[in-house]
Amino acid sequence: MTAIATNIPKSATPPLERAYARLGVLLIAPTILVFSLVIVYPLLAAIYLSVFSIYTPTLQGGFVGADNYIELLTGKAFWNSLKVTLIWTVGTLTLQIVAGVGLALLLHQNIWFRSLARSLVLFPYFLSTVVAVLVWKWLFNDLYGALNQGLMQLGIIDMPLDWLGSMPNAMIGVILVGAWKFFPFVVIAVLARLQTIPENLYEAARIDGAGPIARFFDVTLPQLRSVLTVIILLRAIWDFKEFDLLYLLTGGGPVTSTQTLSLLVYQEAFGLNQMGQAAAYSVGMMLVMLVFMVLYIRQTKEKNA
Amino acid sequence: MTTNKRMNAGLPRRTVLTGMAAAGAAALMPRRIQAQEQITLRWWSPQSSPEQLAAYKTQIANFEALHQNVKVVFEKTSDEGYAPQLAAAFASGDVPNIVTHLPSFAVSNYWRNGLLEPFNDVIEMIGPEKFYDGVNRIYEIDKGQYAGTSIGNSAANVIWLRKDLMERAGIDKNPRTWDELLSACAAMQGGGIYGAPLPYGRNSMTTLIFIGVIHQAGGMVFSPDLEVAIDSQETRDALEFYKAMRQYCPPGATNYSWGDSLTAFVSGACATGIYTGRVLINVNNQNPGIADHVTCDTYPTKSADIAPWTFNDFPSVFIPKAAGNMEATKQFAAFLYDPEGYIQQLHAAPGHVLPVLSTIAEMPEYQNNPIIEKYSAEVDKMAAAAANGFNLGWESTAHKPNVKAGEIVNSGVIAEMVQRVVLNDENVDTVLGETAKRIEEIMAG
Repeated sequence: MTAIATNIPKSATPPLERAYARLGVLLIAPTILVFSLVIVYPLLAAIYLSVFSIYTPTLQGGFVGADNYIELLTGKAFWNSLKVTLIWTVGTLTLQIVAGVGLALLLHQNIWFRSLARSLVLFPYFLSTVVAVLVWKWLFNDLYGALNQGLMQLGIIDMPLDWLGSMPNAMIGVILVGAWKFFPFVVIAVLARLQTIPENLYEAARIDGAGPIARFFDVTLPQLRSVLTVIILLRAIWDFKEFDLLYLLTGGGPVTSTQTLSLLVYQEAFGLNQMGQAAAYSVGMMLVMLVFMVLYIRQTKEKNA
Repeated sequence: MTTNKRMNAGLPRRTVLTGMAAAGAAALMPRRIQAQEQITLRWWSPQSSPEQLAAYKTQIANFEALHQNVKVVFEKTSDEGYAPQLAAAFASGDVPNIVTHLPSFAVSNYWRNGLLEPFNDVIEMIGPEKFYDGVNRIYEIDKGQYAGTSIGNSAANVIWLRKDLMERAGIDKNPRTWDELLSACAAMQGGGIYGAPLPYGRNSMTTLIFIGVIHQAGGMVFSPDLEVAIDSQETRDALEFYKAMRQYCPPGATNYSWGDSLTAFVSGACATGIYTGRVLINVNNQNPGIADHVTCDTYPTKSADIAPWTFNDFPSVFIPKAAGNMEATKQFAAFLYDPEGYIQQLHAAPGHVLPVLSTIAEMPEYQNNPIIEKYSAEVDKMAAAAANGFNLGWESTAHKPNVKAGEIVNSGVIAEMVQRVVLNDENVDTVLGETAKRIEEIMAG
């Protein structure tokens, strides 16, 4: 009887199921439409623009084929900015993870004013980037900055340091500010995971004679592994394409020492009015980011499985 | 029927029906026709200090009082941000009606790409005879066609000096040459005071100031026929001077732009400054203790036989071609030169933006300003320097208009050259060769 049932032609699908299928298509159609408009169209438009030489204000120009990509591959600009982007991403992400995990562990303990501290730690993340940059620029200021004044009063330096105008200080400066601005995201995610680790795992470890450090490496860290992987991938994607913080702090300088790919695209599109070349750089940037995205998708799939 | 009673008592039924029909017709009337009755004009400018905003408010109120169906909305932009904002506006077609205070070299680029409305009508409305000689020449990109006009003159790279510090250091005259300036900075630096706030950042200020330094060495960025001429001995001399000045600038000057440089002098942290006449109002408002000791001069040159070169960005007024309500827009553009509002705008930062109409400059209402009266010698000096000023869009009277100047400035290629040689100590010949090549590519692009 089963064989007969599986051989039923498609046209014989019950009307109710066909109606449900149609309803399904109808319900998902708005989502597909919105995704097409806000993701697929800009993506295809960027690829289309990248094979033209286009003057930004008029969006007029001529077809140049692969010229923009040849410039991308053979010129120094893209590779230099890619190197800068990787240094910035790795540097700020490492600090975010170290500071985020450290503070999350602290806030997981029974300390005084824990609730207040948990609220305050989110402050940098909620602060507008423009405001945060203004505050930091004032702190870094050579003539009136609190940072230089403090270091001089402590006798650590004799003369004010040039924090944002020379290398490697500029890169260190933006990495520090980036870490300060975004580490609360790590704190929130890690703290949430810490609260779900079963206490009996720690009890078992204590019985086995594990000290605090051993408990961290043998219990806490393995339990945090999955959440940390997702955090690292997400933050890597976000840091990789970070624009406003770097643009406002250094403008990409000195020379091009802090000019990440996002700043290069902006400079090409609006400084030089070369929208086609900018689009080619964007496509190159997207391909690099695709690596992070594939890793992220794999990770979430594994987690769901 | 209460309604009928009222109708009978007041209006005849035919009148009421006619009125209802008229109201219905009005409701169905195309929106475009209704829009003609109430007009909104959008005005963009990167100049927006509180005093300037107050002046704009007066100008807008006066214009709206004359044209009751017109509303003018002011929107801020910035010196570093106008290029992307305007690019987006032009690309989308959602453009402002009028844009003021952008440098002339930005205007010429938009004009050459067919994005601007010819300004001849507005100049006629203002009265061409009222302008100082040569003010409009820089906007005549194509013969007989004006891309815009100047709303003011500016002398952006005059040197500001502290007379009290000069006296204390035994300096009896303003430095005229680079050697004199270096000696003066060395003598005045100390006790928490630096010699000069020259910009070394990767921004437009460094570019524009350094173009001036190349000219002060006797060189130029382009030949009169717009061949790239930056790879010269004069540029090498300019870079050497700029490098020598680094020791007299605050550590953070490597990231300085206009605001930082201005503040460094006004606050008293630097013995000399480089800026427009905005210094005067800022010193009087923010640091009155030094207000009686400041003066200005044209920036020193390599040697006394090289004439000073003043950077004048010829702050502009122009109208995007795609702007709506063109007639009202042109009327408003001309109205910006109406004496009451224009003088208030000039007084917002006396000496910062100087009048381009001789009729205004001669008016007692303009002259009777405490800052202009107190610093009349300085204002006269800046006015004379600005009148003979140039910029990258027009490097000398012999030069052709350079419509790519805006893109060269925005590319940061000249600021990068300064940083590579002065901060990174890279080989001058290599850097100059690469810079010249990049400028050639921009010109060709």
